[in-house]
Order: sequence, then C-alpha cells, then structure tokens
Amino acid sequence: MKNRSDIIGSIFLFLLGIGAIIGAVQLKIGLPTEPQPGFFPFVGGIILLIFSTIIFLQGWLGTSKQQIAFGEIGRPALLLGVMILLVFVMDRLGYVMATFIASGLILRVLSVKSWRVLIITSLCLSIGTYILFDRLLGVDLPVGLLSHFGL
Amino acid sequence: MDFLTNLGQGFGVALTPWNLIFCAIGSVIGTAIGVLPGLGPPATVALLLPITYKMDPASAIIMLAGIFYGAMYGGSTTSILLNIPGEAASVVTCLDGYQMARQGRAGAALGISAMGSFIAGTVSVFGMSLVAPSLASFALKFGPPEYFSLVLLGLLMAVYLSEESVVKGLAMAGLGLLLGTVGIDPVLGATRFTFGISRLLDGFDFVVVAMGLFGISEVLINLEAPEIRDVFKTTFKGLLPTLEDWRRCWGSVVRGSLLGFFIGVLPGGGAIISSFISYAVEKRVSKHPEQFGKGAIEGVAGPEAANNAASTSSFIPLLTLGIPGNATIAMIFVALMIHGIRPGPLLLQEYPQLFWGVLCSMYIGNIMLLALNLPLIGMWVRLLTVPYHYLAVVVVIICVIGAYSVKSATFDVGAMVVFGVVGYLMRKGGFPAAPLILAMILGPMLERSLQQSLISSAGSPMIFIEKPISALLLAVAAFLMLTPVLKKMWRKRRQAG
Repeated sequence: MKNRSDIIGSIFLFLLGIGAIIGAVQLKIGLPTEPQPGFFPFVGGIILLIFSTIIFLQGWLGTSKQQIAFGEIGRPALLLGVMILLVFVMDRLGYVMATFIASGLILRVLSVKSWRVLIITSLCLSIGTYILFDRLLGVDLPVGLLSHFGL
Repeated sequence: MDFLTNLGQGFGVALTPWNLIFCAIGSVIGTAIGVLPGLGPPATVALLLPITYKMDPASAIIMLAGIFYGAMYGGSTTSILLNIPGEAASVVTCLDGYQMARQGRAGAALGISAMGSFIAGTVSVFGMSLVAPSLASFALKFGPPEYFSLVLLGLLMAVYLSEESVVKGLAMAGLGLLLGTVGIDPVLGATRFTFGISRLLDGFDFVVVAMGLFGISEVLINLEAPEIRDVFKTTFKGLLPTLEDWRRCWGSVVRGSLLGFFIGVLPGGGAIISSFISYAVEKRVSKHPEQFGKGAIEGVAGPEAANNAASTSSFIPLLTLGIPGNATIAMIFVALMIHGIRPGPLLLQEYPQLFWGVLCSMYIGNIMLLALNLPLIGMWVRLLTVPYHYLAVVVVIICVIGAYSVKSATFDVGAMVVFGVVGYLMRKGGFPAAPLILAMILGPMLERSLQQSLISSAGSPMIFIEKPISALLLAVAAFLMLTPVLKKMWRKRRQAG
C-alpha cells in the first residue's frame, strides 16, 4: 500500500533540494579544491535530492512504515489561528493585552466553559509572565498600548 | 591529586546557595516534565533558555542539566502508573513497571526505578569525571580535518542511532545543513538565501527553530488527542524495594549503569537506545526470561538505570569535543553559545569552574532527585490530573516570549509558528526533528572545518585520509552508512542459502 505522507513529504523535500541547488549555482559553487559560498548549500541540496528520492520510492512501493493518521485537527488549527493573530497584534497592542486575548481565545477553544475561570487564568498568565520575564528577568517585551499609561 | 582538586573546585561551585537552588529548580522542573506526557526535555530546555540569559553561565547550565536528568527520573512514574511513558526513554519501563503496579507493587517499582537511577547517575558522574579530561586533552590535538571528520561522524551517528527511519533522518540532516547556511557565509562573507529579508542576515536562530519544532509542534500534536488520563489507582505499600528485590536486580542496575554510560557517550546514543538495549540484555541474562513483560523487577531496574546513566554521560561529547549528540544536549550547546562559551576541548582549560561545577552539580542533583522523587510521588501523580489545555497555554506563551526575546522582534515569533507547523507535519510523517536541529548547529562547524582543511592542503581532499585520526573517523562513518546495505545483502544471502 502506498504511503501518501511519505510521497507528499518527499516531493516537497525534492523541490526544496532543487531550489537549494539553483540558489547554490547562483552563489557560485567553486570546486571541491576551492569551495565558494554555494558549495555547502549545493551539498545540502544534493543530500536532500538523494534521500527524498529514496523516501519517494519507499512510499510508492509501500515498503516504508504506515503513515500516521491525523486526529482531530480542529483544535490545532484554531490554536495556530490564534498564534498567527498574536504575531500580528503583539507589537501594536503590547505583550500583556495581546497575550491576555490570545490565552483567553486558546482556553475558550480548548473547552474552558466558565468565563470567570477563563478571564482569571488569562489575566494571571499575561500579567504574571510579564512581571516574571520583563520586570524580573529583563526580557524586553513590547509595551504597545500600555505605553500611553506610562508603562 | 589533580582529580581531587578539580572535584573540590567543582563542589565549591555547585554547593553555592544559588547553584543549589538552580539545581533543585532544574531537577523539579525536569521531574515534572518527565511525569507529564507530551512535553519533552528538548522543548523544556528550549522554553527555559530566555530565563537563563541573565544568569551566570554555570548556574544556567546546572539548571538546564537538571531538567535533562530530572526528566529521566520523572518519566518512569507515568510508565509505571499509567502505562504511558512520560519520556520516550521510559517506554520499556511500561512493560514490567505497569504490570508490577497492577500486581500491587507500584511502590517497589517506583522505588527501584528511583534508586537505580540514582546509582546509575552517580556511576555516570564518576565515569565522566575520569573520562572527560583525558578526552578533552586528546581532542586538543585535533586540527580542522579531524574536526570535519568528527562532526560528520557525530551527525551520522545521531541519525543512525535515532529510533526513526535512517533515510528520513538523513534527509532531515540535509535540510538542517541547508537551514544552517541561511545568512552570512561564515568563511567568505557572502549573503545566502536571505531573499532580501534583513532579519535573516544572521540566519535562523536555533532557539526559534527549536521552540517551533519541539515546543509548538508538541502542543499541536497533543491537542489532536482527547484529554483522557486514567491514573491507575493503587496504594503505595512501601516504596523501598525488599531485600529479595535487591538480590534480583542489583546486577541489572550495575549492567544498566555501565551500558548507559558507554552508549550515552556516543553521539545519538542517548537515553532511549540505552534503555532498550538494557531491557534486551536483562531478558537475555535472566534465569526467568518468561517473567519479562509480566512484572519482572529487573525489567524496570536495568532500563531505568541505563537511561539515567546515558543522559549524564551524553554531556561528555558536548563538553570535551563540542559535539552535541542529541536534541536536548544541542539546546544546552545553544545555551553555552548564548553565554559566549564555545563548547569543546578548550572549555576544560578556559572554564574549569563551569565544567567541574556542572559535573558536581549532577551528583548533587541525583541526591536531590532521590530525596524528591520518593516522598513526592503522590504530588507527581496529582500533577497528571491537571487538564492539558492549561499546560498548552503556558507552553505557547513561554514559546512566544522565548522567540521574541532573541532579537526583540515579532518576526522571530512568526518564524517559530512556521517551524511549529513544519515540526507538526514532520512528526505526522515520521520525519525526526533531532537530526535537523543537530545538522543546523553542526553545519557551520562542518563548513568551516572543511574550508580550513582545504585551504591548508592547497585544495587536496586527501588531507582527510592522510591524517590517521580523520581517516579512522571517516572509515567508521563509511561503515555506518554501508551497514544497512550490508545487512540487507547478508539477509538475502541467508534466505537464499
């Protein structure tokens, strides 16, 4: 039986290998005796091409292990959506507000029904981690909107 | 005499109040993540890197090392009580540990696991203090050709000994080498694969990639499954193994400790492989192999001792040769680099306090873990009842902070999310992440030593064969590469015969 995940994965890696080789040639490969900046990426690209071809053949002939099935992908997809949102709003809203919203959304998505638990947990997480990392450990987190309040 | 002086210096560092606190914090966090299925040591060390930025380097490594060996202690708890390995290295502990728990001997299983781990950790620390200085002074003779061959062999062994497909591991190593080339070329200064994005001039940061591949992807995988954790209800009637238990398994603990120590030294040969080999050895040497899988205490003692010994000895190639052998050690490599310390043979000369301090802290950490693990088993079990979604939010937030803290840029947070998705898809397809991160770290080292070797030999690749150490290392690497092919040929010939 063909292994679809191996076939798809190997095609992706093969294309990546081709891209690396093209990029390496543009950078100039040089010779093994006098390597240029493209030499090492060229080697990496060749490794990818060789092994992606083997993975493809194994997947096609069904000799590789059976592919792992996807489970319930709704929750991981929603988490990803919230994280992408967080990336876009973190600088503007600031760390505390952005993580408060993000953790609230994540907890809601992950089946926390009580609004009180949700708000208290999100507040504790966003403010607690801000105090720990920014104030105590000196990690420079974005202030965003809170800069208007002199923070 | 030197040895005792060095140990004295090490204990002087490890026994300072702050280092004792960091050692305890690392050990407790390690045990907790070992107990909780779904968050491994590489992810945890990557998550906690931002905390260590402002710490003293020795304290930082003491804490991170505590997480690593603490996880090995904690991993056995879920294996024995839930039949779910908290860590991959505790998979074999499920076989007999869970059966012992079902027979009302959970206490003895947990007890022998903790004490076996303590003995093994101690043996491994002692072995490390004897082997590491000699290995480091030997490695000082290495030039670029020897380093090239050593790094290449280390990378291949890490792939070969990993539990996943070798072909997929090699493909991931190729991808890691490519990712390591993004940014400015370390030798010639050319800009590579930045696509005009100025943020990529320094390349992808290891912390960002590791957090995505190990942290975020782990959360995504865990969210797929329903949150059901059924803790096996049993009473802990005495955690101390009986005299009869000790009579049966002292040999297993000794064999596991020695086996784990030697396997851990090999790149890629960490805790997981050593526990499997130990189980196989114990079953083979046992007078009652039929009891294995049905609650044989030797099946718990040997593998648990082996995985702990291996997790300690896997620090040897890092601290003496500068080669990280597995993903967690790679994260500790990154932590050292963040503090401006280059792991390798010179580390022992330039930072003896760090080296001996970390080593002695492992001994202290093992005592702390023994003291923590047995009385706190009830607490660790209760920890398993905390719903996973709370842990997931904490992991995500710490990942965001960690990625942002690298360069104070949301670009890195975005890159981490992308690597999280890549890691998730890789896990789904059975593509191992460890070779990718190891190749990414070792790639620039490999490239630099290759170019320096070729410059010194006026372009002749024969330099790698003319140097005896390099030739030997390359021969081992070639043998490793050819082993699967030779195995297949041998099997075919046997079938035909």
